[in-house]
Amino acid sequence: MFGRMVYMELRTGWKGLLIFGLLILMVSAGIPMIFPTYRDSLIEQLEGANKVDLELPDEQGGMITLSWEPLEAATSYMVLEDNRSSMVTAKLIYIGNETSITFEKDFEEKRYYAVMAVLDETSDQVLIGIATTEKGGDPFQELLKNPAYAGFTGGRNISMLEVNGFVALEYYGWSWMLTGLFIAYVSVSVIASDFENKRMDVMFSTPISRRRYLLEKFAAMGVIALFIVLVETAGLTWGLASIDALNEFSANAVLLSLIGCLPFLMVIAAVGVLTAVFSQKVRTGMGVTFAFVFAEFFLFTFGGFSKNLEWAKSISIFKYWDYLSVIIDDLFKAGDFILLTMLAIVILIIGMWIFEKKDIPT
Amino acid sequence: MQIYTNYGIYENAVREGNVMGQEKVIEIKNLTKMYGNYVGVKNLSLTVYKEEIMGFLGPNGAGKTTTIRSCLALIAKTAGEITIFGLDSHKDAVAIRKNTGYLPGDFGLIPSVKVRSYLEYLLSLHGCDSTKKMMSLAQRLQLDLDRKTNELSKGNKLKVGIVQALMTDEDLIILDEPSGLDPLMQQEFYRILRGEKKHGKTVFMSSHNLSEVESVCDRVAIIRQGQLVVVEDIQMLQEKTGKVLEVEFTDPFNIDEFRFEGVSSIRQDNGRLVLTIHENLDSVIKAVSNHRILNMNLKTYSLEQLFLKYYAEEEVDQGDDE
Repeated sequence: MFGRMVYMELRTGWKGLLIFGLLILMVSAGIPMIFPTYRDSLIEQLEGANKVDLELPDEQGGMITLSWEPLEAATSYMVLEDNRSSMVTAKLIYIGNETSITFEKDFEEKRYYAVMAVLDETSDQVLIGIATTEKGGDPFQELLKNPAYAGFTGGRNISMLEVNGFVALEYYGWSWMLTGLFIAYVSVSVIASDFENKRMDVMFSTPISRRRYLLEKFAAMGVIALFIVLVETAGLTWGLASIDALNEFSANAVLLSLIGCLPFLMVIAAVGVLTAVFSQKVRTGMGVTFAFVFAEFFLFTFGGFSKNLEWAKSISIFKYWDYLSVIIDDLFKAGDFILLTMLAIVILIIGMWIFEKKDIPT
Repeated sequence: MQIYTNYGIYENAVREGNVMGQEKVIEIKNLTKMYGNYVGVKNLSLTVYKEEIMGFLGPNGAGKTTTIRSCLALIAKTAGEITIFGLDSHKDAVAIRKNTGYLPGDFGLIPSVKVRSYLEYLLSLHGCDSTKKMMSLAQRLQLDLDRKTNELSKGNKLKVGIVQALMTDEDLIILDEPSGLDPLMQQEFYRILRGEKKHGKTVFMSSHNLSEVESVCDRVAIIRQGQLVVVEDIQMLQEKTGKVLEVEFTDPFNIDEFRFEGVSSIRQDNGRLVLTIHENLDSVIKAVSNHRILNMNLKTYSLEQLFLKYYAEEEVDQGDDE
């Protein structure tokens, strides 16, 4: 009777699962719900770009005029100059009360100018806007293409002004981490706690083989992962429906992206199973499995920083769970899906092999 | 004070009792289990026959649990061979477990479920639908099936362990130190075991509680430091060790009156006569009856004393070797 242990696992662990499910439901419904507010504030910020006007000379060595809309509460203005949109190496080129400055164009490459207003009462600085010397350039869009940022987006042009872009970055960008760590935690503890609480002897006095034991535990993980995915789907659908954005975001894409993450989660579960049978301790197993998830994530992120680091990306399981491809490009990568499934199976088989060899401690 | 004389109690110590020719249920041949450099069990051979209750006696750390867990393939053996029902203990582990009930020496329960659900779950893993025996065992041991598993006392937890080992009605029952119930319950448990035996079951139980083994087992195997010391019929063992007679007289007596063949020790203890008798009980009692008796007590020599005696001798032997 396959499934008895799956049932028992769910029966004894339903409370924890329910609490995590509720958390996931709130987050996955909440993120789309805050999108309109976020979009409005972002638009306001982006409009700031239009508050700053930059007039370029026709030839090299001519004068640039930078002007901006005055701000009532401002006592003075600051202008920062940088050759990057991120403004991390900016230098101050102006402080004063004017709302327009003129200076010579003595450079060839792109430059960015950020105009800040210094407020009297608080001495806080408020960004009025950013302008660039590139014609038709949009500093905010360029900011999104920043390598540090592109590590997350896979180099895609993702608009935070659209609901799918927002959800892709603000929700998918980290929800896998939460789900993955939860799966890691559960998969290690369902097995290692049987060791630690001395339940193995009774378990293996029944005619259940060790292989079947692991298979049932793994199947229980599959059910738990599926449950979480369904809760996420329900939450996102609910959240999107509440802001009337369901048709902007293909339900198909939501479901596929979440189903697509199942093999990814099962690889983590298999690693959890493997470390649990190897270490036979909850803490050790959990430490190793968490380290695996983080290491894989960092490989993926660093791999995105530079072409020379592509190799790091290719050995990370995150590369093979391309949720953005589904959400943004509407493309489901079946090859990656199969690859991760195979990987999960191979790791599970190694776990079974080790378990068959190892003594069950008293 | 010399209690024993050299009656050759441990002569040909490792030999089988009068059960040759019976069907073998467990056959252990030259089992060795090493934990790194530490010897768990060394070169142990033992046979358990059908319809017997075999006691497996030894102090803590002697290798009882290691032997039992090797039989159940919970641990891999370093060398040797174990067959149960004629099947290889490791290759055919699942098939063997279909017909074996097991009470581990130390075990945990699945928390936060009712005892009933827990036992039904184990029944289902055994592929057994009948809860009849489970109910009757629980009733006999006064185990409340509606309690939660994490609310049980140590004794009740042991009862759950006993019920789960016996409820599937398996032919072989392996019990690792099943003591710890209150005396009344312990007696009921022994009755259950004797009943199982009557129904053709075989019981292999380890213990460091010697009176337990005396009161329920047919044969006993004694293990020490991973090595088998003796396999003996309980009755024969008791005969060899003798009985102790303690008599209190109202009048004075001469201990020489009680010197008979078969009386291994005679001493006077606070005016009481203490004899160890192996044979000639009749002559001794007749000699005793020549006096006016105030109080009398005849008891079987405890295996415990035997055990201690044996170990004491071993220690001395080892001391000589060094």
